[in-house]
Amino acid sequence: MISRQSLIVARWEFLRFFKWKQQLISYLLMLAVMGGGFAWVYLTDESRQQYRIAVPGTLVVQNTEQFEFQRPSIDLSQQLQQLRDHQTWHAVLAYQDNSWVLYTGASSKWLPQLEQVLQSYFQMQRAGDFGLTDAQLTELQQPEPIARNFLDDDFKGEDTPEKMIAFAVLILLLIGLSTAFGQILMSITGEKQQRVTEQLYAIVTPQQWMDGKMLGHSFSALKAMLTTLLVMLVFFVVISVIAGDGLDLSWLNWWVILWLIPFALAGLLLCACFMGAIAASIDDPNTSGKGVVMMVTWLPLLFTYLVIESPSGWAMTLLSWLPVTSFAAMPVRMSMVEVPWWQLSLSLALLLAAVYYMRRLGGRIFLRGMQMYGKEPSWGDIMRWALSRKAD
Amino acid sequence: MQLRIDAVTKQYATVTAVNQVSFQIQSGEIFALLGPNGAGKSSIIRMLVGMTKPDAGSISVCYQDQTFQHVPRRLLGYLPEDRGLYGDKSVEKNLLFLAQLHGLGKAEALSRMVHWLEVFELTERRHDDLKQLSKGNQQKVQLIAAVLHKPALVILDEPFSGLDPINQEKVVDFLKQLKKNGMTVILSAHQMAMVEKLADRMVLMAKGEVVLAGTLADIRQQAQPEVQIQLSSKVPLPADWLRSLEAVTRVELPQPEQALLTLSPDADVGPVLQQLLGRIEPEQIAMQKPDLHQLYLNAMSRHQRQTPQEAAA
Repeated sequence: MISRQSLIVARWEFLRFFKWKQQLISYLLMLAVMGGGFAWVYLTDESRQQYRIAVPGTLVVQNTEQFEFQRPSIDLSQQLQQLRDHQTWHAVLAYQDNSWVLYTGASSKWLPQLEQVLQSYFQMQRAGDFGLTDAQLTELQQPEPIARNFLDDDFKGEDTPEKMIAFAVLILLLIGLSTAFGQILMSITGEKQQRVTEQLYAIVTPQQWMDGKMLGHSFSALKAMLTTLLVMLVFFVVISVIAGDGLDLSWLNWWVILWLIPFALAGLLLCACFMGAIAASIDDPNTSGKGVVMMVTWLPLLFTYLVIESPSGWAMTLLSWLPVTSFAAMPVRMSMVEVPWWQLSLSLALLLAAVYYMRRLGGRIFLRGMQMYGKEPSWGDIMRWALSRKAD
Repeated sequence: MQLRIDAVTKQYATVTAVNQVSFQIQSGEIFALLGPNGAGKSSIIRMLVGMTKPDAGSISVCYQDQTFQHVPRRLLGYLPEDRGLYGDKSVEKNLLFLAQLHGLGKAEALSRMVHWLEVFELTERRHDDLKQLSKGNQQKVQLIAAVLHKPALVILDEPFSGLDPINQEKVVDFLKQLKKNGMTVILSAHQMAMVEKLADRMVLMAKGEVVLAGTLADIRQQAQPEVQIQLSSKVPLPADWLRSLEAVTRVELPQPEQALLTLSPDADVGPVLQQLLGRIEPEQIAMQKPDLHQLYLNAMSRHQRQTPQEAAA
């Protein structure tokens, strides 16, 4: 059971890093950066301009929206001079030494598109040489459509909004874990350096203290995830309204979001207990190499990402049942395939049991790690502490 | 509350930090643990608090017909040697957090906090971040944190360190106030003058062992203090002659006309005075009673000179 003292510590830890003004500013900055990015893409979009291309008199290339083809009567050297002087031409096509050469000032984003238009023209020419009509060539180039028919009724389909939700879940979990990582490392090593440890040991048991810390930081990370989700939604709404598509949130799967919260919170708690135990064994975060081990908690996200294309495969199924990976895999799996509620509940129950075990394990390491100043325990010490019975 | 430390031993790797230490602490008294760095004071305190356990011997804490193996957290106010609070939080937030952890309601904690901040003249700094306060003021905040919940026992490890003389006096008054309120106080310190004013009983420790124990009077008696004679004259004193006197073990000459003679503990003072008056015309002559500081130094130097056989005996 969580004691009253643990809840006080949890509130303290949560509020320690809750600076709403800074947070608001950071979200506004994030929106500004995203807006700036879109504005930059719009401003540098070269496809909205038409380019003049000089081609030899023998070629009759159809103009497109992006390219205007002209056959100048002047010789190539004069054409190239005009190209150099930024006059008349954006590119010059010439036939030299039995091959086609495309002259431009420098590499540009529209060059591949121009090459595609020219390739298409040359293919038509060759088809004509073989006696094919344009229609025959077009049909020849058309791939044979193969429809995919999925017999698994639980699979929600490819490239559906659900897949986007699955990616969003992974991104949100990454944000949550990164938040917890930074805060736990800073909080625990900071307390050791500020010598708060003994004072608190005289008031609360190490397990109460760690429980409170882990709860506080997990809620803080969950808050970061939910506020990021909110910012993403606000951004989506703004973009939809600007684009004139209207506000349509019907693709949002609230069932997944509702399950995401307990899975994420339990997963964060599990990872926080592990991170807390490791952080307690760090004397100076600037010189210790142990901080990197805390990043092990990101592996479930990576493993899930690597099998996201096979949501019904054995790997995703295994990950969604394993208590150390289910917090990432199950929400992703359920957003792409139908998962019965009992599987969700059982997986969550296993995860909660793992949280309880990790809490006890972490508490034992925390107890001794926090009392060590000036030197760090070895991995052997840490293992011995974890397997001992003493936690208070 | 009564504490009984019985033949306690604590070992860290190859170092024996506390060796067969025994003493008792009575309810409502101020008890001092004295000794140089590494004497074992903090090790004893950590065992009393329950952070570590004795390797041998026992600790028993009796409170209201119950016995514990260390001081229960709810009865304890603690100022550790290695101390600090949250520097990026205000004085008020730090104190409220710790008080609430001790089970105090916010209103009660606030009213007690206001009282103690006033006592330590910190009211104006209430909303300042702790890191903005001087080291001495931070220490005062930590002292307040240790007593805000009115514990039955307060353990203060080096409460005077880092404080200027004026604030040291304030802490003396503060500790007297705690005693008046019925709290038992255990403190460790190097500042003998402060301890002399405060402590009802004390133990002097060296290398993990008790060297002297009891009240100040007991310690004076146990210490078999060397008698000292303070002497001053209008003319320079004959230093070599003074050193040649049989009963004199040490001669200090802060000025050529002033001397402090230390006699061996078993020396007869009368013949020495006769010898002095026969040779010198003193402007002033006085017998000096050694203070706790002197007793402490004597005891420490005697302990260091002791052979292992003597120590065992």
